[in-house]
Amino acid sequence: MALSLPPGLTHAEVSFLAEMEMVTVVPRQRLDSIDLLSGKTPALRPPHRADLPLWLALLLKKQRRANIVPPPWLHPASLSQIVHRETKEDPSAFSEPPPLPSRASSRHPGFASRQGEDGEFIVSPPFRASCTADAPAGYLPYHWLEVAEALLAYAGDDVAGLGSAGEIRGLLRDLVEVRAAKMRDSAGTLGAEGGGGVVSLRGVGALELAENRGFVLGVVDGVRKIGASVEASRREEEMEYEGAGGGGVGEDESDEDMGI
Amino acid sequence: MSYYDIDSILTDAEKIPCTFQLDIPDLGYLDNSPGQPLKAGTTVNLPLWLAEMLVIANTGSVDNNTFVTFDLPPALGNDVVSALKADPRAVPLRDRSAHFYGLATHMMDLSEEQELGQVLRKTFVSRATEIALHARKVGGTGHGHKGKGKDESSNLGLGNAGEEFLRGLDDWERKLFRKAHEGAKAGKEWMESIKKY
Repeated sequence: MALSLPPGLTHAEVSFLAEMEMVTVVPRQRLDSIDLLSGKTPALRPPHRADLPLWLALLLKKQRRANIVPPPWLHPASLSQIVHRETKEDPSAFSEPPPLPSRASSRHPGFASRQGEDGEFIVSPPFRASCTADAPAGYLPYHWLEVAEALLAYAGDDVAGLGSAGEIRGLLRDLVEVRAAKMRDSAGTLGAEGGGGVVSLRGVGALELAENRGFVLGVVDGVRKIGASVEASRREEEMEYEGAGGGGVGEDESDEDMGI
Repeated sequence: MSYYDIDSILTDAEKIPCTFQLDIPDLGYLDNSPGQPLKAGTTVNLPLWLAEMLVIANTGSVDNNTFVTFDLPPALGNDVVSALKADPRAVPLRDRSAHFYGLATHMMDLSEEQELGQVLRKTFVSRATEIALHARKVGGTGHGHKGKGKDESSNLGLGNAGEEFLRGLDDWERKLFRKAHEGAKAGKEWMESIKKY
């Protein structure tokens, strides 16, 4: 309680976590493998691409020892495709997260295994490379906004290979606005009759969650408080009904009452 | 609602009209006539905490004749409810009561008003959408972020209508606005911070 921060992660924390994402780099210098907590990094040999965590890639980029290969979904064509999908094709839902890299494993239901790597299961975003050069285009990964902004800020010249930074920034801004509007409207569906207002947050990014957590929780809490007395009386009625329905005689009586 | 929740204490102080059905000796001071009995049929505005107790005390009455009946406070009157049905966004709830939703949920606990619950729910949710919009857009106005901040704040053409709407928010809605605004502000600050490097 003493902690004054709201529940959930702050933006800084989220973008710190996003630095764990793997990105593809093209090294300019040789670098031996480094033994990190998350495992050994691949040894860097200049013409060959390698996958590194974003923080290390940014560090090497700053030291001019590597270039970062921006993920395909950051391409303006891919971004405008996503904007199109969000605004025209399916204006009510968020666009899909990237598909799992392979079909589900038959031996372990619920898990997906990457082909060719037996025994290694890759499940959810932090453990699944979704920002490397071979990530699918046209899908926004979990940390899309953080990674995109970091790449634009620190590796602008590498991103410029895809298209103008201004265009990419504009498209990102469009996406942010479109999705923020959807987040707002998702609160509106909670007011539907009969309580049928569960909002699907599939495909929402980490930063968007951090931004909207307070608001959405506030709305849900408010709706709960408003509905509390109605809910309580409904429960009471149900209890009474069940109590009456327990004995055969009571049931008959209530049926007769209904008939009259 | 904790015991020390200042908002729930203030909500309890909201007045609701109660009508006494019996003559009650020595309670005349409630109706500005000290020393006299309180006549049956007098309507007195009592704070919610007192009215609640009286109403609960009522339930065990002998001859089915309760000694206090209460009406919905004017903030929840028919005209307000029908205005909310027509357009939830156009009603300045704060003018009705600063603790509109708190009062309303209390009243719903006391009286079984099914319809009121539905109207309130729709009102709250549709106003919440609007609140989020304002919370996102209102950002740059206060700080005077050179030219850019001004552009961002006025890109919806909300102008005075927005200010009026925000003034009409009740207590719950103000809290919601604050939360939404904090989120949006943190987002903006983060964006600015990452560009500085």
